[in-house]
Amino acid sequence: MTGELAVQLRGVTKEGRRKPIGPIDLDIPAGYVVALVGPNGAGKSTLMHLMLKTLQQDEGQVEWFGKQYERGLPVEVQRKIAYVPEVPIYEENYLTAEKAGEFRSKWYPAWDAGRFEELLNRFGVPRGIRLAKMSKGERRKFEISAALACRPKLLLLDEPSSGLDPFAWKEMIESLRTLLEEEGITIILSTHIVEEVKRLADYIVLVYQGQVHGMVEKDMLLGCFQEWWIRGGAEEAARLKGLSSESGPGMMRIMVGCPEETESIAAREGIEVLRKRSLELEEALDLWMKGHLPEQLKWKRGI
Amino acid sequence: MWIPIQINESSAEPLYHQIETQLRSMIVSGQIGEGTLLPSIREFAGSLNCSAITVRRVYQDLENEGLLRTKQGTGTFVAKVEESQRGAFKQTLVMEALEAAADAAISLQYSKEELLDLFMQVLGRKYEDKGKGGDQK
Repeated sequence: MTGELAVQLRGVTKEGRRKPIGPIDLDIPAGYVVALVGPNGAGKSTLMHLMLKTLQQDEGQVEWFGKQYERGLPVEVQRKIAYVPEVPIYEENYLTAEKAGEFRSKWYPAWDAGRFEELLNRFGVPRGIRLAKMSKGERRKFEISAALACRPKLLLLDEPSSGLDPFAWKEMIESLRTLLEEEGITIILSTHIVEEVKRLADYIVLVYQGQVHGMVEKDMLLGCFQEWWIRGGAEEAARLKGLSSESGPGMMRIMVGCPEETESIAAREGIEVLRKRSLELEEALDLWMKGHLPEQLKWKRGI
Repeated sequence: MWIPIQINESSAEPLYHQIETQLRSMIVSGQIGEGTLLPSIREFAGSLNCSAITVRRVYQDLENEGLLRTKQGTGTFVAKVEESQRGAFKQTLVMEALEAAADAAISLQYSKEELLDLFMQVLGRKYEDKGKGGDQK
């Protein structure tokens, strides 16, 4: 949390097989958890590959910890980065968890065999059987254990919880939190699980149709939409300039996108507010996706 | 280390404000004593399910108010609270409670006189109880 950036993308584009990505501008502040959310096929995984340099952008620049690298990431930078892909790599299919760990330890000098062992036990990853023979969830547990054992500075997780049982999911959240507390790492995760965003993320990035639709502080997003019940009818609701409204018995229910502004209108116009509630993260994300996010909430560099 | 803060997720009050208000009240009222080491930003954020940015903002605000101090490398501690600060804070708390009561009455279309009448009844009962030793608070 020093104001430095772990990854920075400037005007990055990539002509995909299915659709073009970008141009993307994105700052990932070091020491924070950034969640990439958006519908299937929005470009989240591609974005991760661009940040791993396993995909080369067509245009634009990417920086890692303040530096650009033209031809592939140097080994010392690669060693700071761990990645859990959506689909595991097949090269390790015929290895057991122990053997695969040994193999990876040769690549990562900071490999923490003690932590690897502990995580395999905590998650209950089966020993002595090939990774390919494991269930999807078991394999996932191995992948997460191995990624954390690398002691990375930057950790990318592509839908880490898919296939995990609820107990393992909780263990994963706890392990990631411990890592954040003790080592101040940067985590970028893509997810469809709102609860995961809620428990882990500091910032949320909305990815949609190959574009980044801004980055906001999670808690700001939670605070920015409210549901109000007011006395009156459609006329009163219109004066408050809500996002949408619905009529009830002598009252209106309206969706408010900028509570402070609406509050001053309500006070000025003498509109009586009966009740208010903040929206759930899921509802707020939905409104954001529909384009209702107030512009001033978007994270700008240097704030 | 945990701090008994309760977040009301559906409250219209922003998260950081809820945390800040509760933490401030615990410090000024003396529930958390001078010199207490608070949880790290990450730890606190984790236990409250809020972002590290929010906790950092709360710590910074309370540090600016002189209620907390941060020692580089060791963490954030509760500072000494002056008597005058305590007095002013108590008054603010009572004032807020009274205002909330007035707001409730206004929204139910009570007149000032009706509210005052009710208020005097409540006062009579509460302070009488207290006089009998019924309410030790």
